[in-house]
Amino acid sequence: MNLEAVIFYLFALIIVASGGLVVLSKNIMHAAFALMFTLFGLAGFYAMLLSDFLAVSQIMIYVGGILVLIIFGVMLTSKITGVELKTGPIGKVNYLFGAAISVIIACGLSLLFTNSKWIEKPVDKIPDSSINAIGYSLLTEYILVFEVAAVLLLIALIGAALIAHKDQIIDSDASSNEISTNNDIKIKE
Amino acid sequence: MINYLKNIIKGFSTILVGMKVTFINLFRPNVTVQYPNVHPLVRAGSDKMPDNARNKLNVIIPKCTGCKSCEKACPVNCITIETTKVASIDTEKPLMEDGKKRVFWLSQFDIDFAKCCFCGLCTIACPTSAIVHSTDFEYSCYDRNELLVHFSPFNKEQVAEKKRILAEEVKQKAEKALADKQAAEKAAQEQNITDSKIKSSDDQTSANQNIQNNSN
Amino acid sequence: MENHQFLFNFISEYTGDILAGVLIAIIPLALLLVYALVAIYGELKIASFIQLKLGPMRTGKWGLLQPVAEVFKLLQKEDITPDGADKPLFNLAPFIIFLGCYAALSVLPLSSHFAPSGLNIGLFFIIAISSLAVLGIVMGGWASNNKYSLIGAMRSVSQIISYEIPAAMCILGVASMAHSLDMNVISAQQQGGFWNWYVLGGPAGISKIWLIPFTVVMFIVYFVTSLAETNRTPFDVPEGESELVAGYHTEYSGMKFAFFYLAEYGNMFVVSAIMTVIFFGGWSSPFGDFLNSPIWQIFWFIAKSMFFVGLQIWLRWTLPRTRVDQLMYLCWKILLPLSMVCFLAMALGGMLY
Ligand code: SF4
Ligand code: SF4
Repeated sequence: MNLEAVIFYLFALIIVASGGLVVLSKNIMHAAFALMFTLFGLAGFYAMLLSDFLAVSQIMIYVGGILVLIIFGVMLTSKITGVELKTGPIGKVNYLFGAAISVIIACGLSLLFTNSKWIEKPVDKIPDSSINAIGYSLLTEYILVFEVAAVLLLIALIGAALIAHKDQIIDSDASSNEISTNNDIKIKE
Repeated sequence: MINYLKNIIKGFSTILVGMKVTFINLFRPNVTVQYPNVHPLVRAGSDKMPDNARNKLNVIIPKCTGCKSCEKACPVNCITIETTKVASIDTEKPLMEDGKKRVFWLSQFDIDFAKCCFCGLCTIACPTSAIVHSTDFEYSCYDRNELLVHFSPFNKEQVAEKKRILAEEVKQKAEKALADKQAAEKAAQEQNITDSKIKSSDDQTSANQNIQNNSN
Repeated sequence: MENHQFLFNFISEYTGDILAGVLIAIIPLALLLVYALVAIYGELKIASFIQLKLGPMRTGKWGLLQPVAEVFKLLQKEDITPDGADKPLFNLAPFIIFLGCYAALSVLPLSSHFAPSGLNIGLFFIIAISSLAVLGIVMGGWASNNKYSLIGAMRSVSQIISYEIPAAMCILGVASMAHSLDMNVISAQQQGGFWNWYVLGGPAGISKIWLIPFTVVMFIVYFVTSLAETNRTPFDVPEGESELVAGYHTEYSGMKFAFFYLAEYGNMFVVSAIMTVIFFGGWSSPFGDFLNSPIWQIFWFIAKSMFFVGLQIWLRWTLPRTRVDQLMYLCWKILLPLSMVCFLAMALGGMLY
């Protein structure tokens, strides 16, 4: 076994173990934090596949963004953190359903894996960095998708600001000056 | 908008002012002393202490009149004063520091520093500034009794001696008064015929003397 | 730049790849530990001098052994895990926080010939990996099962996440001027004297003068956000001892507390190093080619970073703590607009030069 294989199995072990913890843990906070290791292991895989940008994006977006969001959601939802996740009387039936769905998905995936035509061209030159290529294709080939996504995010941002500022918009002209003069950080002369 | 920018600039410049202050202080000589290694007195110059430093008390006995104001002013009653009147027949003729005649010997002047809270009220009460804070602030010791400090210049024998002299004087005075009285009575008996007014006034003076002697 | 591989190649010639990798990984750790001792000593001394005191004087000459003594004190202390705490998370949190700081150190180019890992998206990696600290803080705060810890953790996370935005803006601004995210490349571009540093508009000719105000403002914005991201005064509301005992590390003691402590100082170094790289030329000498050999470059890099660490300490003993709402006001209403304006200017500069 060479070094790469060792690292691969290490990451695989981390992903599988922490993934199992996410599913099986009775404590929802433990599950949320175990997700972190899963996401990290995935980032490790991306890095092994020489897509460094994707790996770092994985950490940035999933670990730094979405996971924090999940944890905040869990923590701010009242009385959820102390509660143990339990299955009710129909739990056994749920187990059956879950097992069935898992088996179906597993079969489907392995079918796909064996039947799809993988491009197995050996890489003749290891690219210095994937970031240049990603940048070019984002701003040439996929410019429309990129812009639409940007506009979508902008809309979401404005919406969030609107929700947060609801009362102030109603009772004032929402001139930024007025709001800032009310604020205490202004140095009183 | 103008306000907003002004605000930012002002906030920033005030931070710079603060940083300037701390930067200047960074290079100023320190004011603290490495205490057990360097005694503060060495650094500040001997007998120089910060104003209002409430150190151990010191009583300057030549200044003390024995008025007991300090004893009364003390909130925790840690001063104990006992005075003995200076007998007129005493061979020592003590003077106060300012040259006045001393009226009382301080046969006992104890301050219990275990009780003292170093409030300094006694130093304010003292009319002659005889009780003052010294420059000594190291008074930890292994035995609590060491904290009971005797300021009286006399030891027990001397106190007893002074008391004896005083008692002697009292006795002498009493004897003298008695002798005077007897002499007066004698004279009265001898001059039985003389004016009654003179006799009654003689009686009164001797009685007064008696009372005075007793009280001392 | 393949230069950063220099040390790795050198070592692996004698020991083989795996051992060389391990050795290289130990270098930042050793650097971090030594640096922490220096920084703790510096903090104690600067704090005392500003207050006209002497600071530690008894342990060794001028108290030089004080940080060592403090480390030993922390190691000896009893390692307490509170009864109500969530034990696995409680024990994991300090290491996660430390991991974030250590991983960030791994991409810093100490010299043109040595970076522990010459990642060509180093800047992006640092922004990403610093989010680990956020998770560690939430983990510790929540697992302590203590109100103060939880509130401190919440404050800290909201603060770090908010301040990441202006910080990312600053880094993006420089990246757009440098056309690169590789810290080694960015440092190399700024060679040739301090006039070429990005805080003074970068290595374009005299025509870059219009850019200087923007880059200077950008630097100030980044400095402020870096204070907030490391939870340093005046933005140390998460551990404001007047309100929250000690914030998210209230319940920690002994070794685990030492990890929090180490991570705080480590993060100070990391943000200072980023500042050095993106605004102050990284390892390049401020005097052109004078003293610009690879060994001197290590000196320049560490000297510049330590200067900013010192600046942070100096600020800590100058300013009082801000209030939480002031903190957010500063971030969203002042730093973000400022950094956006400057970013636009710097992006324009990046296109022109
Ligand atoms: S300092 Fe205060 S407590 Fe001490 S002896 Fe004087 S009056 Fe009493
Ligand atoms: S108040 Fe002063 S003069 Fe009077 S007894 Fe006390 S120390 Fe002596």
